[in-house]
Amino acid sequence: MKNEVKKDEVNIESRRAEELKGNENCEKIGKLPFEVDRRSVYKCVQCGTCRPVCPVFDVVGWESANTRGRMLIIKSLLEGRTPSADVLSSLASCTTCGICASRCPAGVNPPEVVEAARAQLVKCGVTTEAQEKLKTAIITSGNSFGETKSRLHWLSEKERSELPEKADYVYFAGCFDSYRYPEFAKKTFGILQRFGVTLLPDEQCCASPLLRTGFREDAAKIMEHNLEQIRKVGAHSIITGCAGCYTTLKNNYPEELKVISLPEFLAEHLEELDLKCLDLTVTYHDPCHLGRHNKVYEAPRKVIQAISTLKEMKNIKENSRCCGGGGGVRIGYPDISLELARNRLEDLPEGVDYIVTSCPLCVRNLRDAGGDVEVIDIVELVAMAME
Amino acid sequence: MDITKMDITEELRKIVGERLSVSPSELYCYSSDASQVKGMPDFVIRPKSTDEVSRIVRLAYENEIPVTARGAGTGLAGGAVPVSGGIVLDMSGMNRILEIDIDNILVVVEPGVIQDALNDTLKSYGFFFPPNPGSSAMCTLGGMIAYNASGMRCVKYGTTRNYVRGLEVVLADGTVIHTGSKMLKSTAGYDLTQLIVGSEGTLGIVTKAILKIVPLPKTRKLVITSFRSAEIAGEAVVKTFSSGVTPSACEILDRVSLQVLKRYDPELVLPSEGDVILFEVDGTENSAREAAEQIIEVCSPLAISIKLAESVKEMEDIWAARKLVGAAVSRLDPTKSRIYLGEDVGVPMKKVPELLRKAQEISEKFNLPAMKYGHIGDGNLHLAFFIDVLNKDEWDRLYRAADLIHRTAIELGGTVSSEHGVGAARAEYMEAQWGPAIEVMRAIKKALDPKGILNPGKLGL
Repeated sequence: MKNEVKKDEVNIESRRAEELKGNENCEKIGKLPFEVDRRSVYKCVQCGTCRPVCPVFDVVGWESANTRGRMLIIKSLLEGRTPSADVLSSLASCTTCGICASRCPAGVNPPEVVEAARAQLVKCGVTTEAQEKLKTAIITSGNSFGETKSRLHWLSEKERSELPEKADYVYFAGCFDSYRYPEFAKKTFGILQRFGVTLLPDEQCCASPLLRTGFREDAAKIMEHNLEQIRKVGAHSIITGCAGCYTTLKNNYPEELKVISLPEFLAEHLEELDLKCLDLTVTYHDPCHLGRHNKVYEAPRKVIQAISTLKEMKNIKENSRCCGGGGGVRIGYPDISLELARNRLEDLPEGVDYIVTSCPLCVRNLRDAGGDVEVIDIVELVAMAME
Repeated sequence: MDITKMDITEELRKIVGERLSVSPSELYCYSSDASQVKGMPDFVIRPKSTDEVSRIVRLAYENEIPVTARGAGTGLAGGAVPVSGGIVLDMSGMNRILEIDIDNILVVVEPGVIQDALNDTLKSYGFFFPPNPGSSAMCTLGGMIAYNASGMRCVKYGTTRNYVRGLEVVLADGTVIHTGSKMLKSTAGYDLTQLIVGSEGTLGIVTKAILKIVPLPKTRKLVITSFRSAEIAGEAVVKTFSSGVTPSACEILDRVSLQVLKRYDPELVLPSEGDVILFEVDGTENSAREAAEQIIEVCSPLAISIKLAESVKEMEDIWAARKLVGAAVSRLDPTKSRIYLGEDVGVPMKKVPELLRKAQEISEKFNLPAMKYGHIGDGNLHLAFFIDVLNKDEWDRLYRAADLIHRTAIELGGTVSSEHGVGAARAEYMEAQWGPAIEVMRAIKKALDPKGILNPGKLGL
């Protein structure tokens, strides 16, 4: 700047400084090595292809809230910039939906880079209050809600006692279905039981929330606990109805597990399920961690089309817009998260009876966004067709 | 008056409230675009109206604070980078299509409208806005106007300049003027509209634009040809044009670019070898078919393969991939990144084969692999060097190679920038390209921006 305006005369405030008040660890990063694979960061040529598709940027409007901005901020940390608190509001507000990765011409995988950067921030002790709360809940209770009751509370004592101790298939219920949508868990297990599927005696959080928000060491411990449980049961395959659990079990667990999403399992066994046709027209929301991250697009559609009429949303499959729930954004930035969900509801076609999805977190966020059309999990639709 | 940054912050906040940021991370995100130019702003503002822009610029004028307008930051010359600090005006939030006036075949838009978004809207009316840079999915119309952007179809449809009928512009002292009109012609006075187009935000800030649109062609056809060398491909282009065909796009992809595209999307229906020319023709079914047949006839003696795209999808997939080829080079080698330096030279069409040869020599001289692609039909070559960005020696060689390619283009009677703009990246070549004419540009700049606050450090002014 020229002339009279004097630089550095003002304490530069972050627009979201309030939420980070008390976090005094930021400057530690300047003293600790900030390590993220440089090549994966420098692949980004800042072309901006990700800019118009980032759902968070669509709501927030500042460059720091889009993928290119986040990559720039990570670059700056790698180059030794001492960060201010607002680094967090940029990096922690990514839902890791991966639409940027699907469009990036240079082949950058921003969700991976962002998660790695979050892990570095955690190492340096730079976290948001929401992150810490989430971590504490999982570590102390084994679930992301801090619930103290049994994870299998949705089964009667008799049912619990009759669970096979050994089985080839395990149903991994996940925190959401266990504690927020036990009816989903009950219906899912009701279907799976006939195929000889059992439950883990002491399932804990899959560790997805910890991994997405940077707590890798804590995640490793809880993953080992679940692996130990799986080994005990002797299962070779794990079935889950949660997109977050699915991608974590499949891609983050140290041992190679055969992981099957509920829609994939249902699509595979359609004939054995003896489903009736429903006089319903529904639409389908692709959960990011099932769709874009793992390319499970056709299985849920096959199930839906076997029992009802499918009318697609405006943006589907690779182009599906995020519900706003993932990556710790629902907990950390509820206002942004909800706005994303509202935006997703704008993609709704007319004349549908239900919005069907395959992820309880998507169900929750889309339900919270309001709207006239009821949001249900795919297992509920299948259960209707079994009545 | 001893005004502090705090005072300025307060004054700016009175104008835009929370749409002002001075947070370090935010400033950092606005310190670059897609070029290698860097410059840290002191304030970033997202205005929502002409009035806000006017008040901000007036404040900046009174306090001699630099003001740099920015669209989506997809520029390749550092045009939106505040190299002297000051205020960055992020115009992308002013993104309304204000009027679709089919009777007068035009639209009125705010500068933050994304190019593809305008065309998506116009599609249902049967019209389109033809300039289409590779970044059309993300770039803003304001940026296109400021840099006179063009893209693949300019060979037939011209550049952004040809579509701007009128502008609303905030001048350096905050005064709001209106240039041009909805009319096709007017001889009343200087053509200020055309003065502003391509001025890179150095003369005023565009806050509204009246743009001409044209009917969508009934059909498009794509002839995919390949040749033993880029030079022969260049000859084929010259022969095609001189035979009387005007393609709606005429793109070269050398063999390296071809491999990159095939890695990017293995399903693309592209030749397996050679240097490729994509000829697109449009019009009615009959006229497009005749033009395509003529291209096939002219190119046959020179080509090693010729194919007509069989479906609209085949064609659209190729164009979509072509638009992103620049950034896709790391698909070929994950340790390399494409760096935008020396990437936008242009020469008269007949000199294209010579430019291609010299570009290859430069690539070999500096031992830097490069893709050569671009709008060969208008003489615009995008030479894309790719380097290991963690290797300092490669950076050094890259800068020297880029310098040489710029000087080569000038020697061949061409330009250092055909469509990406000069910004700060190519400012040093302006005198060599223009000679005494640069002084006229400087005089205009001085007249309109006496304090030099509008995008200083750009255009070699």
